[in-house]
Amino acid sequence: MKTNGTGTATKRLTSKAEQVPDALAAVETYFERGWTDGLPVVPPTPGAVLAFLDAANLQPDVILGVETTKGAVVTAEKAAINAVMAGCRPEYMPVVAAAVQAITEDQFNLHGITVSTMGAGILLVVNGPVVEQLGINSAESVFGPGNRANATIGRAVRLIVSNVLGTRAGDLDKATLGHPGKYTWCIAEKVSRLPWEPLHVARGFAADESTVTTFAGLSGIQVGEHEANTPEGVLDAFAVRLSALGQAMQEVLVVICPEHAAHLKAVGWSRRQVCEYLYERSRAPAPEQISLEGVKDAPLARHDALASPDAVVPIVAGGDGGGWSMVIPMWSTGAKTRSVTKQIMPSS
Amino acid sequence: MTIESGLTVLDPTSTLSIATAGMAARPESLAGKRIGLLANDKLNAERLLDAIYDVLADRFEVAAFHRVNKGNASRPAEPGLLKTFASEVDVALLANGD
Repeated sequence: MKTNGTGTATKRLTSKAEQVPDALAAVETYFERGWTDGLPVVPPTPGAVLAFLDAANLQPDVILGVETTKGAVVTAEKAAINAVMAGCRPEYMPVVAAAVQAITEDQFNLHGITVSTMGAGILLVVNGPVVEQLGINSAESVFGPGNRANATIGRAVRLIVSNVLGTRAGDLDKATLGHPGKYTWCIAEKVSRLPWEPLHVARGFAADESTVTTFAGLSGIQVGEHEANTPEGVLDAFAVRLSALGQAMQEVLVVICPEHAAHLKAVGWSRRQVCEYLYERSRAPAPEQISLEGVKDAPLARHDALASPDAVVPIVAGGDGGGWSMVIPMWSTGAKTRSVTKQIMPSS
Repeated sequence: MTIESGLTVLDPTSTLSIATAGMAARPESLAGKRIGLLANDKLNAERLLDAIYDVLADRFEVAAFHRVNKGNASRPAEPGLLKTFASEVDVALLANGD
């Protein structure tokens, strides 16, 4: 077999290798086999895969995680192959590896969130020095296209779910509507505009450590508020949206844009104050008993949108201009999945 | 753009380690059998099993019905629950309730 000068790599790697005429033929072959997300992939050559593993100091047979329901084992080699296909650079591999470790934690419920009709996406929120080192976007159009690190790291995780877990749309993935975040969904927290400590520090990591936090997120709901200039005024806009999202939600991601965050920072509101305020203000009886599960017949005595203040996970991200924030509810209102934070080991 | 001539590429997929279970052999008759009805914890699963119960109870002289709810639709049933369930029934029907 021709190895393109990567004989050492092919000896270390155990995935089935095959010869194709050229890169375009590889792209078409991978389309035909259902190995893509509907977009072209970068051909995963042994040399490229080995470079990714080396960048993360990983041996090919290291097990990054196991999805126990289907018995799917995610090795570093398979993760690297899919990361190459996604268009990652080698130095992104430690983030992809940490993300795999996070989503295969039991509390994330990877099988449930990826096969369910509810259709969650896997959102990655990156913190720490790696954000600047890799150029992960936390600013304008943070959820939009245009940044390689955001686009390809999130895509790599989705390709791993599809190819290594075998959870493909229309097959094991039974989502009724799907989710645009299933193509890719990766952002960084905008630390420079934070009124409080970064997410990973709040979760017990050191500020100079890097982490990825994974969320089984449903579609985000934009929160526009352009007149209020007090914490209460700004957060009431969030509370209205939260109130309509469900009952006793156990986790919800609140993405606060820099303009809204500035109103909190100006008067020194803490993370805890924000969580407690949103908990109280989203408890008002809702006009209709609407939840993510549908319209309920029986009226409730009181509508508790959040199970507790701890259900709120506030982060800051987005462009400096415009009072547009977002609330992102979790799959199963967070009752059967919970976000996971894992440290990203330094790249070599 | 220069395209490489002859390229070795790798398979990104894995083989799942859990074998897919087949269907159990069909009994010749339900007469005298213990019928297990296992719901996956969704509301419509219970409704479906209610309807199946009505039909089976009307048509067959079964020995008993045994209803179990696995308690979490998004996770597999606990092994202990399945083991006990299997020991208590001769025929089992599973309902997914979406």
